[in-house]
Amino acid sequence: MNFIKEMKSKHSSEFTLLLIFIGVFIVMGILSPDKFLTSNNIKTMAFQMPEFGLMSLAMMIAVLTGGINLSITTGAALSSIVAAFILSSEFGKSSPGLSVVVALAACMLVSVLTGVVNGTVIAYVGVAPMLVTLGTKTLFEGLGLNFTKGGSISGFPEVYSEIGNGTFLGIPIPLLLYVAVVIVSYFLFERSAWGTEVYMVGCNETATKFSGINTKKTLMLVYIYSGIMAGLASVLISSRYNSAKTDYGSSYMMQAVSAVVLGGTSIAGGHGTVAGTVIAVAIIQVISTGLNIWGVNRYIINIITGGILIAVLALRYITKVMEDRKKIKMRSAQSAAK
Amino acid sequence: MKERIRNFTKRKEFGIILIILVLSIGLTFMSNAFLTIDNILDFLRSNSVIGIMALGMLPVLISGGIDLSVSSTIALSAVVIGNFMLKFPGSNPVLVILVAMLSGAVVGLLNGLIITKFKIPPIVATLGTMTIILGAVLLYTGGMWISGLPAWWSSFGNFRLGSFATAAGGTTGVSTQVILFVIGCVITSFILKYSLVGRGIYAVGGSESSAIRVGYNVNRITVFIYVFCGMMTGLAAAAHISIVGQVDPNTYTGYELDVISTVVLGGASTMGGVGTVFGTVLGVVLMAILKNGLILAKVPTYWQKVVMGLVILFAVSIDVINRKREQAKLVRVDVEE
Repeated sequence: MNFIKEMKSKHSSEFTLLLIFIGVFIVMGILSPDKFLTSNNIKTMAFQMPEFGLMSLAMMIAVLTGGINLSITTGAALSSIVAAFILSSEFGKSSPGLSVVVALAACMLVSVLTGVVNGTVIAYVGVAPMLVTLGTKTLFEGLGLNFTKGGSISGFPEVYSEIGNGTFLGIPIPLLLYVAVVIVSYFLFERSAWGTEVYMVGCNETATKFSGINTKKTLMLVYIYSGIMAGLASVLISSRYNSAKTDYGSSYMMQAVSAVVLGGTSIAGGHGTVAGTVIAVAIIQVISTGLNIWGVNRYIINIITGGILIAVLALRYITKVMEDRKKIKMRSAQSAAK
Repeated sequence: MKERIRNFTKRKEFGIILIILVLSIGLTFMSNAFLTIDNILDFLRSNSVIGIMALGMLPVLISGGIDLSVSSTIALSAVVIGNFMLKFPGSNPVLVILVAMLSGAVVGLLNGLIITKFKIPPIVATLGTMTIILGAVLLYTGGMWISGLPAWWSSFGNFRLGSFATAAGGTTGVSTQVILFVIGCVITSFILKYSLVGRGIYAVGGSESSAIRVGYNVNRITVFIYVFCGMMTGLAAAAHISIVGQVDPNTYTGYELDVISTVVLGGASTMGGVGTVFGTVLGVVLMAILKNGLILAKVPTYWQKVVMGLVILFAVSIDVINRKREQAKLVRVDVEE
């Protein structure tokens, strides 16, 4: 019992999010038990959520440092396009198994490179992350368009589609990958020296620098990590669609920012937990899938998602103001008693 | 005089002018269609929409904020005036523009109130309103186009002031949209330079807490900034509809990033406190020349985005590098003395 209480006081915002998630899940279940609570629907969500979650983690690490990465979706698309080239080539047809390995390696390499480009300009030149990634967003999109000539690349070996559509012991492979990445991210962000540096840079970069930390290197690694997360998401996306195109997953950019902020990460940097982001991703996924199978118009779903984002932040602000007032009252009462 | 020239060369705008000059000279040699009056007037016309939106975004960036919702706002205003003209075919362009600006101002007011009342960071607040408004617009229109606008609207859109002889033998003039852009520039620079609220915008961007201590009502200034941005976006909607002659609510996605990069190219900083109308105009012209030049130089469409991305990266990096060098110089002087 004590353990639960301690957890609750330590992670109060995650607890609230978890309660919201359970609430939303129950409401959706009650409203359409015959459609929402089917194993088929749950499975669909389990296949869709990982790519959104990975994109959100890619966004989160940048936001933790007080930055932002607007290039995640086009960078991801670029890496999946490069992979698609290998997969759809003659090499892919003659030796499917090996080509998938080579394609995945190439995909990761390109996503690391996108991170290096962002990281170099942000950390070593010192330009604001928003502007840099605005530029690289266009740059990566342009490069991707050059490869695809505006169309999509398809014709992958069958093995490749297993990554995004297959199951292992009845559990979707994307979900397994997502869970593994979430665990790794948790240890990297919240339990490693580098993670602490990331949070410190987000709080106060100058102070961090003067305390003897190579902030440039930290930032560089942040954007490389962000690139890798987006690259992993792109593998899932291209495997699910069985093709690659520059605008696949482009809607995830703004959604990822929403999920990160909803999950309690401060847009100014320095605060936020992996658990918060993961729960927020699940909430958004449940709401959009729930409303979708309920037959609600896609545009209304967008309106609701935007509304939730603003409402949650407004609510957070109001509760904080109320708490502050309570504290002031208590203190003034104490001093009056003295 | 010498002092003045030296000061001017140190300004941010000087660098942009240099890039524009180099590009223009290169393009003139590459294509004889570039330096013709009709080409220049034409690319100014098609870029006036982004230009007018950039004028609205400028005060937002100067104040240290950002408005991502402009792409949804322009779609909303376009749909509003499209329907307005269908309902009231007997009205006139001035009224349409006023309606457009009013609808934009309502969105701006909403943004301003959310940001000031709930202290939600502008980037998140406007991200939310962007999703909500676009959703509402697409829900209302069903993604359908609005066409069949009155004849007086297209004659307003195709109006040309003055007449210049073109190479092809016809005549051309300054189009309505460019005139709207120029009027917008005059109004914006008047507000920023000579009004109390304008000085307040720079003060808030420089340091919000200092602005509060000096006695500026920061909340009121913030609301004004976003209302102004919304109004300009509404005006841009009118300009855009007068060019294309119909309303397509889907065309505006991604405009917010175009507008922001234009303003940033013009020397404004997303950190706030810095930026001028002159710089923004140069940013618009630079973007226009780039887009036009890439087409005239017969660069394949797919490479154009690559070049644009590189130019944005280059422009924002150069600015930071210059600032760092200047700071390094300052430090050295301190040491020597």
